[in-house]
Amino acid sequence: MGAYLLRRVLAGVAVLFVASFLVYLLVSVSGNPLAQLQANPHISPATIAAARAELHLNEPLLQRYWTWLSGVAHGNFGTATTGQLVGPQLWPRIEVTLKMVIPATILSILIAVLIGVLGAVKQYSKVDHLLTGLAYLFFSTPVFVVAILLKDYLAVDVNNGIGHTVLYTIGQNTPGTTGFWNVLTDNVQHTVLPVLTLTVVTYAAWSRYQRAALLDVLNTDYIRLARAKGLTRRRVLYVHGLRNALVPVVTVVSLDFATILGGAVIVEIAFGWQGFGQFLFQALTGPVSPDVNSVQAWLVIAATAVIVFNIVADVAYGLLDPRIRYA
Amino acid sequence: MVHRLSRRWSAVAALGTASLLLAACGTSGGPSTSSTGAVKTGGTLTFALDEDVAGFNVLQATDGEFVLAEILDQVWPSVYVIHPDLKPVLNTEIVSSVKVLSNNPQTIQYNINPKATWSDGVPITAQDFIYNWEAQSGNPKYTDVGGKAYEPASTSGFNQIKSVTSSNGGKTATVVFATPYSDWQSLFAPIIPAHIADKVGFNNGFQTFGSPVEVSGGPYEIQSYSPNEDLVEVRNPHWWGAPGKLSKIVFRFITDDSQQPPAVANDEVNMVNPALASIAFLDSLKGVSNFSTQVDPGLEFQHIDFNESNFYLAQAGIRHALAYGTNRAQLVQRLVDPLTTKIQTLNNHFYMPTQSQYKDNSAGYGAFDPAKAKALLEAAGMKMGSDGYFHPTSGPEKGQDFSLSISTTSGDQVRAEIEELFQADMKNVGVKITVQNYDANTLFGTVGPKGEFDIIEFAWVLTPFASGNQPIYCSYTDTAVCGINWDHYANPTVDKLMDQAIASTSPTAAASLFNQADGLLWKDMVTLPLFEQPQLFGWSNTYGNIQPNTSNIGIPWNAEQWGVRES
Repeated sequence: MGAYLLRRVLAGVAVLFVASFLVYLLVSVSGNPLAQLQANPHISPATIAAARAELHLNEPLLQRYWTWLSGVAHGNFGTATTGQLVGPQLWPRIEVTLKMVIPATILSILIAVLIGVLGAVKQYSKVDHLLTGLAYLFFSTPVFVVAILLKDYLAVDVNNGIGHTVLYTIGQNTPGTTGFWNVLTDNVQHTVLPVLTLTVVTYAAWSRYQRAALLDVLNTDYIRLARAKGLTRRRVLYVHGLRNALVPVVTVVSLDFATILGGAVIVEIAFGWQGFGQFLFQALTGPVSPDVNSVQAWLVIAATAVIVFNIVADVAYGLLDPRIRYA
Repeated sequence: MVHRLSRRWSAVAALGTASLLLAACGTSGGPSTSSTGAVKTGGTLTFALDEDVAGFNVLQATDGEFVLAEILDQVWPSVYVIHPDLKPVLNTEIVSSVKVLSNNPQTIQYNINPKATWSDGVPITAQDFIYNWEAQSGNPKYTDVGGKAYEPASTSGFNQIKSVTSSNGGKTATVVFATPYSDWQSLFAPIIPAHIADKVGFNNGFQTFGSPVEVSGGPYEIQSYSPNEDLVEVRNPHWWGAPGKLSKIVFRFITDDSQQPPAVANDEVNMVNPALASIAFLDSLKGVSNFSTQVDPGLEFQHIDFNESNFYLAQAGIRHALAYGTNRAQLVQRLVDPLTTKIQTLNNHFYMPTQSQYKDNSAGYGAFDPAKAKALLEAAGMKMGSDGYFHPTSGPEKGQDFSLSISTTSGDQVRAEIEELFQADMKNVGVKITVQNYDANTLFGTVGPKGEFDIIEFAWVLTPFASGNQPIYCSYTDTAVCGINWDHYANPTVDKLMDQAIASTSPTAAASLFNQADGLLWKDMVTLPLFEQPQLFGWSNTYGNIQPNTSNIGIPWNAEQWGVRES
């Protein structure tokens, strides 16, 4: 297992290196950060030349990449086109996204497993058909539509019904809130809708995996044998069935988690959360863009997350399925 | 002067232009207000901004964004404040009086209000005027901390100043111009605190939130800033004028305009001014109770430009043909009428109908006349082909369909519709139009400056000061000044008229000269103005004294008077 892990880590680092090089090249040649300055007749050529030098745009591309790479090797992600250091901006952004993604993931797993099991056990029943229908509906609904529906038909209606604002539709918190409980309550009130949105679109696919995996397992010989030995239906389902049916689901969840981390951008935009996805979006579309250093920082972290969770998936796979562990 | 570029960058795509800016409230009926009735002291108002700030020095090149100008309205003082009627009005809290001492050389004396003091206790003096001039003069003699060149967002006007001197114990500043500058009232708006900038640096000292940014010379000061989330202003306890009514103004950054209406409906935001005034946005606000909306013509206009470096577009007759073939009234009807009926086709390049200097100088060149368009194309040696398109008898497209490309920023609904309607209009007169759009950075950074287009469509953002338009229309051969003349247009008479207008010390004479230059722009038909870009404002009726301002300083121009209405 150790050698295997090591191989996986090394391969991951190699992929990261190649990706960072290609992305640096592509992003650098895909836009002109000075466009806005050049389009403003009041900004003198001297000012533009100074800005060009400040952004190192007058240096060859490879040299710029090398500067970036050696910076990263020393833990320095460089300076954004706004003049601020990239490094210190990263963690607050990731923190924001995690605040949304972790509760949504936990909630999604719980709902997905529950609904998946229910669907498998009661295959082709009315309940199964209903849950299947809902899963396909949510799965095929664009995230921003879910967000808009929740805002307009849940938040506004609930708030009007209660008479004061309980559910917030924009931002992570209310500026100027003080006191531990107030801050906590305020944060929760702002978190409900984004988490719900993310959960609705995430659980749907996972519940289908869970249902299919459990159905597969329930139709195997060893389950039939367990039943034949006289074990209770409940024990067969939970101890023998579900444990094995969780294997593929754990893989999907681990792989998806990293993707959600970097890709919750639509939910972030919909609710005005300044998370990690928006960080990339703004680096690519901001007034002085593309902001290569910010894009690169996003890439390194998002790609690392993907690699790490891939490995986590492998390890978890092994833990849940002894056949793989000892192979 | 601030350009509105970056805010409009993605959405409206305004080119940024120049320091031109402002918009105004409708001429019909004048500025409407949300009651000028009594308001209470205290309360909070939350205003949604669609972009975060890039830094806090609005006078610096990369920070000079519209949203920052709005935030600083109540923090960094301006000598003249643009009112909703687009006229500059002296801010007597800062400068008690201004005297024009001489017209030759143009000499202006600013008598600084004796009470005027920065919030850290340092008086506002002539020293501030001297520093603000030097930093924005573009003169390499003056340098920022560390001997670096200043990076100002604009040098307009300041580059014509010969000297600024202090007298009366620093409370009088006298400005002498080397060459007259008719729009001198646009200067010193706003003023950066010299004693701070001198220490921390003009270029980099205000890039992040910290003590330099907290110093205020206005009714409010910045209390806190959470990047990408919000910025909170509270009353400046050292303000010497009438104190602001609201105890707190929250600027909330909501970068996706479409997320603003639900936040309004949920009472999380009390005021909006989206980058793009869209029908969908307006509709979604209409259902919100106790909320006012107002659409005004902005100081920003859509236009179609013809690149004279194109073999065919170099001929005035062909440019006029394209203009005659364009149904501008239909564009307005389709794209603007659903929002407001205050906007008609635009017939001036320098002034908007909301400004008193506006005149229709189009002399019929802006009329819709497809028959005349076809006649002009025939006169230019084109033959109508059997496929309904003209075929040039000379030049690179000889014997083929006469075709041109039109470019604008991709992903902009309004511009895409303008292109489509233009395409249909041109087909109608036998000209084939292909659409070739680019993202804003490419369009304004490469395609425009390099002149790699046949026809280009976008919006100019203007200020009420017409001198800011000079770089767009002066002869492109003068690359230092006219770098934004992407159409390869050159007319020495236009150059001369604009130079005279800018050097004129009489506002009436200046306006008349700009209008003469405008007449020539129509005659030469290098660019066809379409219509003023509408601006949408919305605010909760809980608040009073709110007056939209379409200028470059935006709606918070009088935020110190905003307040919760007495019910």
